[in-house]
Amino acid sequence: MGAREVHSGAVAELVVTARKWRTFADVVAFTLGVNVWVSIVILPAAFVGAMRGSMIVAALVPFAVLVLGLARRSEIILLGLFPSALLLPISLQPQLASSYVYGPIRFLLVGLGVIAYLFGVSFFTTFHEPPAPRSIRPLSSAQQGPPERWRRRERVYWILTAMSLVIPTVLITWVNFDQSVADFLGEMYPGRVALMTTALTAGAIVLWLAIYHYAFLGALRPHRTGDRDLVGVLAQARADAKAGKPRSRFYLAVGVALSAMLLLILLRHL
Amino acid sequence: MKLITKLLRRHFFEILAVCLIAGSLFFFKETLDYLARRDYIAALLVMVIGVAVISVGKEMARLALVQRD
Repeated sequence: MGAREVHSGAVAELVVTARKWRTFADVVAFTLGVNVWVSIVILPAAFVGAMRGSMIVAALVPFAVLVLGLARRSEIILLGLFPSALLLPISLQPQLASSYVYGPIRFLLVGLGVIAYLFGVSFFTTFHEPPAPRSIRPLSSAQQGPPERWRRRERVYWILTAMSLVIPTVLITWVNFDQSVADFLGEMYPGRVALMTTALTAGAIVLWLAIYHYAFLGALRPHRTGDRDLVGVLAQARADAKAGKPRSRFYLAVGVALSAMLLLILLRHL
Repeated sequence: MKLITKLLRRHFFEILAVCLIAGSLFFFKETLDYLARRDYIAALLVMVIGVAVISVGKEMARLALVQRD
């Protein structure tokens, strides 16, 4: 067997493996995406009897976006545009997302479906199985296990993943199923409880995205750039703090707090 | 002696940081109470106080970390 035959055999194996993965990822994304679409749009629309006129077109838009995302194999479309498109029919018929349509059990099932879709798409579209190696030679460093810094980093990733599930779930559950929130909305906006609940749910999602962008991605960015920026920032912080004095923002915060307290006292008692 | 002073200073900063960050929660709770009473200006002011107090706590935590090094 010549060297060229060996090389072409390996390339062919690589192509077949990659094609299998792509097909598998497409099937997973399509199945989970359709599940999300049906459970968030189609079933609630049928339940409240809203499937007529322009609502049918609006209900089909997320499905079209899903198919487009699969055809282009675009993560932006599958992970960003498709979930956003699901809000289009809900914005036309806010009662689709009201707590009267979603009981706690159904909400849990739909939430699991959405999480499965997001995880499935983000994992399977980026993960590619390498071809089996022809030979394996263990390195001596592999016997010692992963170093502490990698284990620490992995722990951070797992915590961030867990928080990515817990924070939006708690926020949305609180908005939709806390009786005091429902009572308050009923008192403040009689006849528009479903609309206001949906608006609050959308607000909870926006709040979560802001938290994710500033707090979570902010923490992950230094990891992505190999800690170089983080090391620079830490060195600067250490150099600043060596002086043993707080930074100027400390004095600014004290001043702002005292001014706000004074203003509050003046407003309350004068 | 110097080491003991440094240790005491570090614990002082740590306790102060925890007290300030935990104490800022009181201001956020007050914000919610003012909002429930529809006193929006007072709620905004108390929220500003809460954010300022948490910033001061953060600075204290930073100083405590430096003492640790």
